[in-house]
Amino acid sequence: MQKTWNVRVAVGVVALAITGCGSEVSLDPAQTGNGEETIELAEFPNRPYWGDTHLHTDNSVDAFGFGTRLGPEAALRFARGEEVMATTGAPAQLARPLDFLVIADHSDGLGATRRLYDAPRWYVSWVIGDETVLRWYDMMHESPEQSTLAVAEIITSAADGTLPPTFSDPEAAREGSIDIWNTQLGLLDRYNEPGTFTAFAGFEWTAMPDGNNLHRVVMFRDGSDLTSQTLPFPGLGTAAEGLWDYMLAYEEETGGQALAIPHNPNLSNGLMFETTMPDGSPMTPEYAAKRAAAEPVVEVTQIKGDSETHPFLSPNDEMAGFGVKGWELGNLPLTAKTEPEMLAGSYTRSALLRGLSLEQQLGVNPYAFGMIGATDSHTSLATGDEDNFWGKHTGNEYTDETRANASQNLGTREGRFGWHYLAGGYAAAWARGNTRAEIFDAFARREVYATTGPRMSVRIFGGFDFADADWDDDWVRAGYTRGVPMGGELTDRGSAPTFLVSALKDPDGANLDKVQIVKGWIDGSGETQERVYDVVWSDMDARPRSAGRVPAVGDTVNRDDATYTNTIGAAELRTTWTDPDYASGQSAFYYVRVLEIPTPRWPLFDAVRFGFDLSEDAMADAVAQERAYTSPIWLKGSVAP
Amino acid sequence: MNLPAWTREPLVHFLGLGAIVYVALAWGGEPVDPSSRVISVDAEQEAQLALSFEGVMGRAPTDAELDARIEQYVREEVLYREAIRLGLDQDDAVVRQRMVAKMDLTASAAAEAAEPSDGTLRAFFEENREDYSGQATLSFDQLYFSSESAATAAIESGATEGEAISLPATIDDEAVGEVRVLFGEAFAASALALDPSDEWQGPVASGFGWHLVRMRIRDVASSEFEQVRDRVENDWRSAEIEARKQRAFEVLREPYRVEIDR
Repeated sequence: MQKTWNVRVAVGVVALAITGCGSEVSLDPAQTGNGEETIELAEFPNRPYWGDTHLHTDNSVDAFGFGTRLGPEAALRFARGEEVMATTGAPAQLARPLDFLVIADHSDGLGATRRLYDAPRWYVSWVIGDETVLRWYDMMHESPEQSTLAVAEIITSAADGTLPPTFSDPEAAREGSIDIWNTQLGLLDRYNEPGTFTAFAGFEWTAMPDGNNLHRVVMFRDGSDLTSQTLPFPGLGTAAEGLWDYMLAYEEETGGQALAIPHNPNLSNGLMFETTMPDGSPMTPEYAAKRAAAEPVVEVTQIKGDSETHPFLSPNDEMAGFGVKGWELGNLPLTAKTEPEMLAGSYTRSALLRGLSLEQQLGVNPYAFGMIGATDSHTSLATGDEDNFWGKHTGNEYTDETRANASQNLGTREGRFGWHYLAGGYAAAWARGNTRAEIFDAFARREVYATTGPRMSVRIFGGFDFADADWDDDWVRAGYTRGVPMGGELTDRGSAPTFLVSALKDPDGANLDKVQIVKGWIDGSGETQERVYDVVWSDMDARPRSAGRVPAVGDTVNRDDATYTNTIGAAELRTTWTDPDYASGQSAFYYVRVLEIPTPRWPLFDAVRFGFDLSEDAMADAVAQERAYTSPIWLKGSVAP
Repeated sequence: MNLPAWTREPLVHFLGLGAIVYVALAWGGEPVDPSSRVISVDAEQEAQLALSFEGVMGRAPTDAELDARIEQYVREEVLYREAIRLGLDQDDAVVRQRMVAKMDLTASAAAEAAEPSDGTLRAFFEENREDYSGQATLSFDQLYFSSESAATAAIESGATEGEAISLPATIDDEAVGEVRVLFGEAFAASALALDPSDEWQGPVASGFGWHLVRMRIRDVASSEFEQVRDRVENDWRSAEIEARKQRAFEVLREPYRVEIDR
């Protein structure tokens, strides 16, 4: 016994001594901080920088269980454009690199599934001593299919609040998190190259009372010098206000900055954008201000559906309902159905409207947010491209022939199919350069927009003196100097606001069908109203409005080989638009929706690649008009004191 | 601190420290007694516990909370020591995996922190040159036309104005990757093939339509080491971590004879 101990001490000494050697890390200081004063910046934001703020790696409790074995380093390499080998053994690469990435693993049980999986069976059986955990353990070791089912049960159990203590014990979780968090922060700094690629620290706060999705992604502006002073905040058993307090404490103590991005309000059964406090009492101005400060942006589109609006809420919007099928049925694990009266709290357009109303009552708008898209991929592969869709998780990666037609529910209930999943979206940030500070600040001032995958460039400037002649000159300068960009606010001057709107197609993608402005406002009787205006579209002469509507652009998609042609639509659409329905003193918001011509969705690419037939329902949804949603510009009318 | 490179080799560490360990064992000095039943929680230890609490909660613990943390620490320490006494660390797959991981980490830690010389990085850059292509920079002017015939007509008539589009008319010293972001894959590839000239060339197709291009400077030679040094260093580090893990393993593996019954 004594002898063995000596040897063990000796090994420990060796290990310590080796680790202790040369601990001077040699990263360029520009990489380890927030990127301020590291590169030359443009005078005005010069182009949209493209990224994904919502990527899970094998450190996420569910991603690992679903089979992902790619970690954060592979995720960063993939995002910056390199080829990596996916978990299922096929090479994966983006056609175009991303400019930035937020790795957002679940804070709850960070690395927990991996630890459980690696544990010996006797440990799980005797020491943990929980029959359910042992059953999950056995399922995870039995086969990838069983492992996927086990994780589905874990998520359902988390949603039901019945997770065994192994997963939810905060002390155990904290110990597990420290190693992973600190290792990851070092890695992020190493891949963070100001001017080329930005790597953000972040995590997902995964609260879901009764299975109603209240998840937020938290992203940090800072490098490891500051982020190593905190740890991801647990989601289970905490409330959003607790998360905001955690963020405020981080900012106060480190001088850094953090923001939270709600996602999948569509699966919240009305709880994401309530008109009251979470306990049902009237919302206080303090609460509204706190929320507005912490959450400047919402993730409006991603793999698990689109949350812009629902046809029930926007019956006059013929383009409403994109990415709604399947997801509209209920909350995240489908443990509770969605009732129509819940919808207004689950979609962003209605939330923006609620924000205007609440502002009249409280003097502050809790829902004055901008919009982005993201993937929420659980494969370590951040791709939102329809022809390069790697699945929601490793159980349905690119190489899975059955994924489009198959039933794919988190729990064991019926309802959602593979083709209901979207390929995911991206966030576009108008910044003056590619650094942590520049991109983060674009989010903070809401100068960002969402796309469902394509990389179209969309600008909107709001002001009171824009004219068609501005297009002949440096209109971007005019926009910034005489008005406000997306995310900005105008104060009512008694005359209708005018907007410069421009949409340039994705240079490697489909042409544009039309550009719309979505207006929401409060009418004279205090009711919220919304209206969608077609402001510019392709071939306007050949395609005049009839009965108030712009005729459909057409459809060039060949269903047999999943191709389309850019023989319809336009390369660029731009216009100067003045609100025809302005009323003095009105509180309103205006955001742009850009529609591409119809193109194949991922299930059609799959069907052609593997040579199978999509189900009738899937085929009916196999072609779609991909789109962009900008952050709104608000017109501040008369606000009650 | 600038030590010779050999002092940073894990192999040297293993051998050197192995020798020290041997001497220590032969000496038979006083090893830490695992069965010691004294747990001392000094001010430093308390500060450590308070700090880790602060790391999560974002504030210092109250006295009661700190007491709870100390209680937790004592509990862990007692059970840990008793577990060691009972030999529970033996034949435990978790402990095994953890120790294996620590050995790997030990071998690679030096690479995480190493400061490679310019020579090392240059050699790595030369070996993997193809990974660093595509960093050529271009300076050019462009005119846009929505149809190929209009572009052809313009080049024939010597026109110097194109159609309106929200693309920069002038590009100065941009990396090809950036040109690809703005104009698309096809255009970037074609532009890269244009020789610098005072004349308008084209039409060149893009995702938007057709362009006449006046290529002012094409700096293909610019994919030079200096411009990609950070990336090279990063890639070198990743490769080095893998290589060191492997080398350390080989050193340790060497004295073993593996017998596999078939």
